[in-house]
Order: sequence, then C-alpha cells, then structure tokens
Amino acid sequence: MTPLIEVKKLNVTFQGEEGPIYAVQDVSFDLAPGETLALLGESGCGKSVTMKSLMRLHPEHKTQISGQIQVAGQDLLSMKSSALSKLRGKTISMVFQEPMLAFDPVFTIGDQIIEAVRRHEGCSQADARQRALEMLERVRIPSAAKRLKAYPHEMSGGMRQRAMIALALACRPQILLADEPTTALDATVQIQVLLLLKELQRELGMSMIFVTHDVGVAIEVADRTAVMYAGRIIEQGPVQEVLSHPQHPYTQGLLAATVHPGMDRHQPLPAIPGSPPQLLRRMEDCAFAPRCPHAQEACSLPLPAVDHQAARWSRCIAHTSA
Amino acid sequence: MTSVLRVQDLKKYFPLGKDLFGRPTQVVHAVESVSFDVKKGRTLGIVGESGCGKSTTARLLMHLIEPDEGRILIHGKEYGQIGGRHPLSELRKQMQMVFQDSYASLNPRLTIEDSIAFGPRIHGVKEVQARQMARDLLERVGLNPGVFIRRYPHELSGGQRQRVNIARALAIQPEIVILDEAVSALDKSVQAQVLNLLADLKKELGLTYLFISHDLNVVQYISDDVMVMYLGQVVESGPVEQLYRQSAHPYTRALLNSVPAQTPGTRKDYIVLEGDPPNPIAPPSGCRFHPRCEFARAICSEKTPDTVRVEGEHRAACFRLPQSAGHQHYIALQEVQDDTTH
Repeated sequence: MTPLIEVKKLNVTFQGEEGPIYAVQDVSFDLAPGETLALLGESGCGKSVTMKSLMRLHPEHKTQISGQIQVAGQDLLSMKSSALSKLRGKTISMVFQEPMLAFDPVFTIGDQIIEAVRRHEGCSQADARQRALEMLERVRIPSAAKRLKAYPHEMSGGMRQRAMIALALACRPQILLADEPTTALDATVQIQVLLLLKELQRELGMSMIFVTHDVGVAIEVADRTAVMYAGRIIEQGPVQEVLSHPQHPYTQGLLAATVHPGMDRHQPLPAIPGSPPQLLRRMEDCAFAPRCPHAQEACSLPLPAVDHQAARWSRCIAHTSA
Repeated sequence: MTSVLRVQDLKKYFPLGKDLFGRPTQVVHAVESVSFDVKKGRTLGIVGESGCGKSTTARLLMHLIEPDEGRILIHGKEYGQIGGRHPLSELRKQMQMVFQDSYASLNPRLTIEDSIAFGPRIHGVKEVQARQMARDLLERVGLNPGVFIRRYPHELSGGQRQRVNIARALAIQPEIVILDEAVSALDKSVQAQVLNLLADLKKELGLTYLFISHDLNVVQYISDDVMVMYLGQVVESGPVEQLYRQSAHPYTRALLNSVPAQTPGTRKDYIVLEGDPPNPIAPPSGCRFHPRCEFARAICSEKTPDTVRVEGEHRAACFRLPQSAGHQHYIALQEVQDDTTH
C-alpha cells in the first residue's frame, strides 16, 4: 500500500534571535491509509513543529525546511500557495490544542464551517449549511441547529473542541492531524472527545497523526507510535510493542517516570535526571546521552543511520551497532 | 493524630455584574459547605475538574480571598483581619502556597536569592541570615546555590523555577504547604524529580501538604487522603486506597475511570459521562451531579444528599448509599425498576 504521508529527512530550523534553532532534525516516517500514528514526547521535542510542517504552517521568512514531504502523492515543499490552500482542509486537516485560539472569534461556528465547505466544494450556501449541521450532529453537539449560530466564546471547552473537529472534518479529509486536542480538557470530557475521534476515524476511513505527551492517550488512540526527543524520532514501532518493551533508554525512562496506578507510593519515582538539551546545534550524536544511565563513550560520536522503513527501530547504539 | 487544619462549612460566592442598585445580577457558587480536616504529616489530595472550586478553596485557606461563611482553624486558631482573630502575618508562617505557573509566581526583577530571602526578611530575619537561608534552601531543593543564586527567573527552566518556588514557600518554615497544580505544567520526566523532592521534604521537615491537582494518577501516588470536589461541593473523601479502590460516589467512579490506562494492552471500557460539568453560576438543584448521573432518581434533583460515612474515614454524599437518608426511597425505586425489567 502506498503511504498517504511520506516524510524523509525533514529538517526544520528557525531563525532565533541568538542564532538558529534546530527544532526538527532528520525526521523520517510514513503514514498508511487508515492508520493512526502517535507522536509522543515532552515539550520542545519537535512534535508540534513536525505536525505544522505537514501543512506548511510555519512562517516562511523565519523557517528553513529541508527534506521531503509527500502528502497524498504530492510534493508538499515545492507546492505553490494556491495548490496548498486546496490541500489544506480538503486532503489534510488539523485540530489544535486550544480551540478558542483556532476559531475566529467574530464569526459564528456555522459561518466558519460553511466557509470551509463552500471554498473547497463550491457548493451553494444552503448545501454547505446542511453539511455544517450534519457535522455538528455527527460530533454530538446537542441542539446543533442552534449551535450553528453560536460564537466560539459561547461554548464550553469540550463543545468548542467538538466544533473544531466538525470544522476539520467538514470536507472529509483523508488525513487528520490532531495536536494535543484533549490536553486542555477535563478528564471526563477528554475521554468523550478521544472516543469520538476514534469513532469518526473509523467511519470516515481517515488516517490520523496524534501529537500527545500522555502515554495513556497514545495507547488509547494509536496503532503506531514515534517517540521524539530533542528534535528527532528516537524510537518507532507498534504502540503496544514500543510501550510495553521500550528499547531506547529515553522511552524506558519516560515510562518509568510517569506516575501510573499501582505504583508503590512509598518508593521514590525513578526520575530521569537533568533536562532536555537546547536545540542550538545539530546533533548527530545521541542527545539523550547526558541523561542516560547506559551512556558510553561511543554515544558522543555520530550515531549510525537507522533503517526508517523497519517496522520497529530505535536510535540508540545498543540497537543500531549490532 | 491531631488535626493541623480544620475547615468547617466554607462558603464563597462571587458576584457577577451589578444591576441598577448595585446588587449582583448573577452569582457564581464557587465553594459551598466545604468541610474537611487535615492531620499532621499527611497529604490531602484535592481532585476535581475545572470550576469545581479546588483552587478557590486553596485561596480561601490562605486568606487571599475572604470566605462568605465558615471557619478555617489552624491548630484551633482562627486567622484574619476581623477583630479578635490572629493576624494574617502569623498565618503565613504556618501555611504557604506553591502555584501552577512557576513563572508568574516569581518577581521577574528579583534574583532567585532575593525572592527566597524576601519572606524571612519580612518576618524579621536579619539580612545576612536570610541570605544564608536562601542558599541552604536552594541546596536543599537540588539547585546549586553557586550557580543559581544570582540568576533571574527567566534564566531557569520550568522545573528549576518550580524548585525555587518550593524553596521560597519553605523559607518561612511553614507547617502546611498548599500545592496548587504545582507539578501540572512540568514534563513527566521533570515532574517525577519534583514529586520526589516533595516527598523527601515532607519526611525531613514533617510537613503537611494539600495537593490540588487534576491529574488523578499523581494524586493517587502522593496523597494519604483524597477529597473529590464537584461544582463547589465535596462529593467524596477518604483514605486514598479505599477511595480509589471502592469509590462510593458515581462521579468519583466516572472521573477515576476516565483516565486512559497507562499500560499497553489494557484499553478499558469507559464510563463515559454525558456533557460537560455544568456552569457554577446556576448549579443544578439537589445533588449537583444529578443531570450527568446514570443512577439519578427523582429525589436526587429535589434534595441535597448529606455526607454519610461509608466505612471508617471514607465519606460520600449520595442517595444511592445504603447509609444515606434517602436509601429507603432509593431501594423502593430500584425494586420497582427491577420488577419492570425482569
């Protein structure tokens, strides 16, 4: 099966005030039709930057992007802006963490969905309105017809996120990018939205990339996971395998340090010492080595390349040198 | 064990908007009849979703806002600006708070040393001594004083700043520390470091914690006792093992169940609540949880359930409980239902 998304050696560098910031370094992955990939990692690891690159949302004058991104057979990085606007929202769509910031506050929810539908499908106002109504019902917003006329601020966080999902899915995209869509929500609402997304994905046969820092969320939604650290994917594979038998010491450390039920309350948590590095240089060596309990001299040398096509790999000399 | 902190029938309403005569047009029922005890050396975890009143409770305890009704007793003494009460400066020596936003809670113009030494100086400690204290505390929270003492908050990472906030809270040598979402903004690997630090400090200094968080796993790990709040009220409280193992209130059960499993291969069946928590401006009548409760009966919307003892220190406010005053009514209803279904 040809993948819907193919990313090869993606590098994203921002022009910071004090020099370049290497936010994403040599990231490669692909996404099959109907598949859900979870990008898992802590703040600043490059997971959101990777996502935004897939829709080319970075400000062009401050960002250097190199590598290859193929979306549904098209080369994203060489695309003209007119082709790009056709792609965004139609082929590939995105849901953000904070729906309040993603909606335009001066237009109603209905207007914003209608605008997207008319723009991409060229249908009449009435048809687009009908579609908007269907979408709101589909994401189970109560009294949907009334909610079409609501402004974003008139809705609760959970409802706004549902409306955001309705907007993102209004043109039946093949790929949905979800950037921490449930992080800002309360626990009982988070699970509603997660289950809704899973259900919609099945119904519409979409592929999904889900950015999260929450191991539990990744387990719940994803087929495959890619763990990121300091701008790179450091481990990749089926979610069950990666999270039950992590290979990379960072993944191991992250899982051990995450508080989960059934932990011995009287034992200290196995924390990872130190903090992630700043991304002020390109790191060919292992960025995790300074915090790694298994670090050896060879870890400060450039790491051998990994086979990104493999079903399961990790970027650690313990696994690549063998 | 003696109670360090005792809270009785705490109530706080916030007025919203005013009419022609200066009367509030709407009122947010932020905290309603909240009572609890915290025993010396224990950690009370307070959980609940946004708007449940957990942070308002913390602010009331610190007298950052004044309660409308109710009493807050520390070792049996009441503090406040009202005549006959002990002065607030005394309260601050007993109880300190660490906030979620580590950056917003440090003065950006003060060095780390000045920030930590500020409290002791206000409370009459000599300059030199206060500075020495700041150094010792920094060392204690795992930051090298030689490196950090002259730095400003923006030069630190989130985890380091939160360590500074903890050091600052401890500088006045309080007995009680309120941690309001103190580790929520930190990444997991850093969060674990700070949780360990909190556990060590508690043991060493004999501290009592109030740990407010929406992260149910973290609360389970750190707390001895847990209190669950919903729309300004306490719906259930008790020792952590008991409450997590056998939650008595339907809300607690749904809340605990809504956390995705952390171990692969254990996707679970969720109890999915309908809708969002209602607005605290016009809370539902009777039991405030009844519109979202799968077990709700007529009585639940008519009367407010009393808090009853489930077992030992484990208490809950729900008519379903056999111990609750409404149980006759409930069982009668249940029988009718069972008959119709069979």
